[in-house]
Amino acid sequence: MVLSGPSADPDRFGTPIFGVSEVSALICGLLDDVRLHGIWVRGEVTNYKDHTSGHRYFSLSERNGRDSALINCVMWRSYASGLRFTPKDGMDVLAWGTVEVYEPHGRYQLVIRELLPAGPGERHLMVERWKRELDAEGLFSPERKRPLPAFPRRVGVVTSPTGAAMQDILSVISRRYPAEVVLSPTAVQGEGAHAEIAEAIRRIDGLVDVIIVGRGGGSFEDLFPFNHPDVVRAVARCQTPVISAVGHEVDTALCDFAADLRAPTPSAAAERAVPDRAEVLRELSGHRERMRALLLHRLAARGSEVEDLRARMHPRRLERRVHERMQRLAEHADLLRRSALARVQRDRSALAEVRADLLGRNPLAALDRGYGIVESEGRVVRSARDLHPGDRVVLLMKDGRCRAVIEEITYDEDL
Amino acid sequence: MTKTFEEMLEELRGIVRRLEDGDASLEESVAIYERGALLVKQCEDLLGAAEMKLTELGRDR
Repeated sequence: MVLSGPSADPDRFGTPIFGVSEVSALICGLLDDVRLHGIWVRGEVTNYKDHTSGHRYFSLSERNGRDSALINCVMWRSYASGLRFTPKDGMDVLAWGTVEVYEPHGRYQLVIRELLPAGPGERHLMVERWKRELDAEGLFSPERKRPLPAFPRRVGVVTSPTGAAMQDILSVISRRYPAEVVLSPTAVQGEGAHAEIAEAIRRIDGLVDVIIVGRGGGSFEDLFPFNHPDVVRAVARCQTPVISAVGHEVDTALCDFAADLRAPTPSAAAERAVPDRAEVLRELSGHRERMRALLLHRLAARGSEVEDLRARMHPRRLERRVHERMQRLAEHADLLRRSALARVQRDRSALAEVRADLLGRNPLAALDRGYGIVESEGRVVRSARDLHPGDRVVLLMKDGRCRAVIEEITYDEDL
Repeated sequence: MTKTFEEMLEELRGIVRRLEDGDASLEESVAIYERGALLVKQCEDLLGAAEMKLTELGRDR
């Protein structure tokens, strides 16, 4: 290792001499290593002290047979105020923090931001991991959130039949709205509760209009099953919209993130699940009043219209109108008559034309021009082939008929 | 099939809007009003008559 840049002159033997701050700075530099940043450290609490300032000072130690190791720790007031338990000497804990050097005292220490009892601490880490995984699967995405029905007929509840949550939900719903509450009972804590909760969710999905999944307050351990991926996935896969209500306001569980709505408590979930009957009744009577007012207004408007019309039907005015109408009627009648006459005229001349045309086509008119018609046995003869020598025929002429006998037949050409 | 409460309330809101628009004839308005009044009554009856019911699913499918 190269020690660079001692500021003081070497002593008379040529040995470099460092200032304390230089060495300290060097140590700071060495400890400024990402491997010591934001790490989880497990150990036993020793020398625990609640400082009046609110900061917490203690050590984490580890014993391995005869060997032991110890690291000084500090938890500043702002982080210590978030502690959910009271650390005590001898406690097995998980601490999250960064190793830093405190130069005035020449010591390094773990500056802790989060401190958890080891058992729950490990589960806490597990929850963090599940959260990342489930989030990566997209189960928490806001686009998945669906609106809740405004007037559910059936509200499903997945919780313990004997828990406070069920009582709270029933009391809120019975007070607010006449829905049917369908309980899908399950254990909500303890070994295997997560599988039971997930099953209870699947069992009620599709049978109700909205589902409340939850339980009352409890320790992190108690609420733990609601973090389990089985429960989170069951919630995410529901066709029915889900409200999640696990514990109190400050508690969150992963199933909150997968639900369509997170309610701070089971009571709040019940309030979100159903409307308030009184409010709805108020809206209804509001509609009734509005409709009445609108119709009455409408009737009043029509009434004044009628009144106006009546006023305009004064006798003299009416008489004048009648005369006007009669005169117009007479004019119309006259017009009609004249147009009918004209029509008849037109029809007549059309008829004359048709007649002339017909006359032109009359076969008898040909007789005028010197043609004759041959009849045999009352029928017109159109072909020489219909006749035989010796046949008796009649010739129709313009001005008379002649009897004749066929003497000889010559065909114009052989056909 | 009978209408859900939500559908009835939606129809009722539509009726109020139509009356507000004033496009309908007087006869139509009266008919619309009557329909609206019936809906209000039905909605109120639904809310008034019913009580919360509790049922429990069996744990076995």
